[in-house]
Amino acid sequence: MDTQWPRWEVFKQDTPHKPHQAVGSVHAADPEHALLTARNVFARRPQAVSMWVARAEDIYAWTQEEILEGLATAKADAGLGTACRYLVFRKTSHKRSMTFVDHVGEVEATSPEEALQQAQARFTDTTALAWWVVPADKVYQSDPSPETVESWFAPAKDKTYKQQQYYATVGSHISKHKRGRGVEDEE
Amino acid sequence: MRNEVREALIAKLTALADDEVILAHRNSEWVGHGPILEEDIALANIVQDELGHATLWYGLRQQLDGSDPDQLAFFRDANQYRCCELVELPKGDWAFTMLRQYLFDLYEAFWLEAARHSTYQPLADAAQKIIREERFHLQHTRAWIERLGQGTEESNRRLQQALEMQWGYAQQLFVPIPGEELLVAEGIVPDLASVKERWLEHSTRHLQAAGLKLPINPGYQPTSRTYHTEHLWSILAEMQSTARWDAEAKVW
Repeated sequence: MDTQWPRWEVFKQDTPHKPHQAVGSVHAADPEHALLTARNVFARRPQAVSMWVARAEDIYAWTQEEILEGLATAKADAGLGTACRYLVFRKTSHKRSMTFVDHVGEVEATSPEEALQQAQARFTDTTALAWWVVPADKVYQSDPSPETVESWFAPAKDKTYKQQQYYATVGSHISKHKRGRGVEDEE
Repeated sequence: MRNEVREALIAKLTALADDEVILAHRNSEWVGHGPILEEDIALANIVQDELGHATLWYGLRQQLDGSDPDQLAFFRDANQYRCCELVELPKGDWAFTMLRQYLFDLYEAFWLEAARHSTYQPLADAAQKIIREERFHLQHTRAWIERLGQGTEESNRRLQQALEMQWGYAQQLFVPIPGEELLVAEGIVPDLASVKERWLEHSTRHLQAAGLKLPINPGYQPTSRTYHTEHLWSILAEMQSTARWDAEAKVW
């Protein structure tokens, strides 16, 4: 029996006017549990006003290369179902150590592939390195009520933390270990 | 403030802080041993929050009598501690730990809600600050009670077993300390009887909805915070060992 809980991608919104960004993932048993653990792992200290979670297996993702190889259109005609809403996320940079996949908007489509095509046509302001589309009903949001926002995200403002260098007295600087062999430690 | 009221407030703040310190230290034993990394982190967060609350309560005491919070935490013996026995019990399994944290969070959330209206402003301010975190703790532990209670036969059995052990101990949270009636009369702290009424109603409803049976015989119910279980000695020995080993240390 597989006892591993499913993996959920976590999207964090830093301020009301910024997009939700994919920040990492958690394992959790269900949507509510995923939101609770996501808050603990990704928003105890960093700024946040809202979080979304979606099961990793409900996310359709394509890189630029995959799209060029035609992988995204292979099943485009298969979608015959009724139209539903998809949330669209886009990655536009590799440059920073943390590169995010940002929420850019919403499309209505009969399949994930069609949703991708619409997204490519609509969100053209910059080059996409990767696209994620997620059926809107598979995305679970943290409670937007002021009371929950206050109890989940406000305490972070009071929680300062120390940079690693602050603890320099605990260990010793790397340079101490780089001197030549046979040199005695200074007392 | 009259002298006997001041003395009672010092004792109450000590009891509040001691509960938080011992519960936090007990739960910190899960660090590195949680059932899954995410829950390990979540419980460590709760522990840090509870230690923060203890710091606030000891700080309020310090304003009244100049006592040093570190001295109180690390250099008092077990018989000088005023925590309740519930928080001293060994961590047990995950069900035991989650149930205790849930029962405590629910009590703390209701107590703080009422304490926000304290006539002693520093206490009202502290309660206002802490309650935000406590609401989140409660959401998390309440979710675990549901999931363990309604999970598998095994998880339900373990949670039921924990409930039978803890239900009587939890009642001590609502036993006033000597002199507490003076504080209630002055509107400084909430009346524990009304906090207990809300706690009983909510906890009973939630535990039963999670498929648990409330113990018909509540079992042992501690009444005085001057008595402790044997477990307090060992947890303090561990918690205080570093500080006592080198009490003069300025830099660690």
